Amino acid sequence: MFHEAPGGSGAWWGWVIGSLVVSAVFLALLQLIPQRFRRYVILAITFLGGLYFALEFFLPTHAMPTPQDPKAEGNFLTPYLVPFGNVATVIGAWTVGVGVLNLCQVHGRRLTRGGSNVIYSFAFFVSMIAMLVFGLLKDVNKTFTDIYDLLFMHGLNTLDATMFSIIAFYIVSAAYRAFRVRSAEATLLLITAVIVMLGQVAVGQMLTSAIPKDSMLAFLRIEGIRNWVLTIINAAATRAIGFGLGIGGLAVALRIWLGLERGSYFE
Amino acid sequence: MEHANLMVQILLPLFSVIIIAAILVARRKNLFIRRIQGLTAIDEAIGRATEMGRPMLCSIGLQGLTVPTLQALAITSYIVRNSARFGTRAIVPVAAPEILPVAQEAVREAYTGEGYPEQYNADDVRFLSGRQFAFAASVSGILVRERVAATFYFGTFFAEALIFAETGNQVGAIQVAGTPSTSQIPFFIAACDYVIIGDEFYAASAYLSREPTLLGSLVGQDIAKGVLIALVVVGAALASLAPVLGQAFVKFFTG
Repeated sequence: MFHEAPGGSGAWWGWVIGSLVVSAVFLALLQLIPQRFRRYVILAITFLGGLYFALEFFLPTHAMPTPQDPKAEGNFLTPYLVPFGNVATVIGAWTVGVGVLNLCQVHGRRLTRGGSNVIYSFAFFVSMIAMLVFGLLKDVNKTFTDIYDLLFMHGLNTLDATMFSIIAFYIVSAAYRAFRVRSAEATLLLITAVIVMLGQVAVGQMLTSAIPKDSMLAFLRIEGIRNWVLTIINAAATRAIGFGLGIGGLAVALRIWLGLERGSYFE
Repeated sequence: MEHANLMVQILLPLFSVIIIAAILVARRKNLFIRRIQGLTAIDEAIGRATEMGRPMLCSIGLQGLTVPTLQALAITSYIVRNSARFGTRAIVPVAAPEILPVAQEAVREAYTGEGYPEQYNADDVRFLSGRQFAFAASVSGILVRERVAATFYFGTFFAEALIFAETGNQVGAIQVAGTPSTSQIPFFIAACDYVIIGDEFYAASAYLSREPTLLGSLVGQDIAKGVLIALVVVGAALASLAPVLGQAFVKFFTG
């Protein structure tokens, strides 16, 4: 069912065009389904899709070595895992166009209506067209390559790094508000935070550096206390939260898979 | 590719049966659910935005069509339905393009279900960017320009969580957050007014709607957690007694 054909060959084009035609026919048939039956079609497709992945996970496995992984194991459903996963990737790729279209609609309406924030919509269109043009032409000559690098490496990536670095200052302001002695729990949080922060930096570790590492009192070294807080107490709490999240995720996934989910979107 | 080992083959179907059985029982009985302050605060936040005459922002996270995002969408639907009665505007920024039509449909259905289809504004449910910090910058810009009065962060978040929360704090918004991303919970706790931790995020739809199926699922989750706790205690005891009992017992449970 799943073939590989050399890119650009007749067979390859045949598969691409054939897939597009089959997809278009399938979508047209879906549109013809009466409204009252659409929910059942969605439930059936959801159930069958989830059933495949559940069976693939649970069915007994045997050795199925591959060139990439000689120790791989699987069952009769495993070879279809990647192709079925690729279906989701392809659908996701199509939706990128949906996002761009939505951005153009929203900012286009703002440009035509005018107002105080119209400059941002203008900047959006200029940026998008510039990245599109120089992204497509970047391999034409060195000038276009340099402009593309300027926009992407020195523009977009730099802006990403700037936003990321703002977090450092926001952590300080958030910590200043959060670490107050308002209650017993808040005081405990403050003390623990101070110990962990001091244990992370050389200046803090110098405070207890006089305690020899192999002495009976070595546990009082601040980096040791930090490690104990992070690996024993914090890890236990994080795992407990993880248990709850795992069970909760299982419950929601089960409800969606079996069509038991309720709420305005699911009915 | 991971496949189920013996313990997973036993526990996962067991938990699934427990959850489904609890759902079936819940359809015949009234079940109790304890108060979750963060979820009760949602109505308070909607009321505050209504009184101030300023909009709300509901972020559903950065991921696409995943279980946490669908759960966040269910909570956002509840928020929009409740705010529709008061005419409070809800802005829903989207980071993953594949979730955009889903979010638009959910919000439109929420307004229509409450009898206010004219309140739906397509520009308020919009795609911003798939890049993490471009999305963060866009949301921060919306928070400041629109002078948002209430913000709701439900879904999967990463490093940008603190950028949202601090910006919301700076504009004076009341903030409610809930995420399955354990690494971001501390930042939300430091910066937000109410935070829903751990599986309270997945309990939110049951808590807010009081739908019997969802309440039953919640009870099933609690029973499954009880089974897990019992296994943890048994496992800890067996691991402690391993020198006496031998490693066979421990190996059976660890797979």
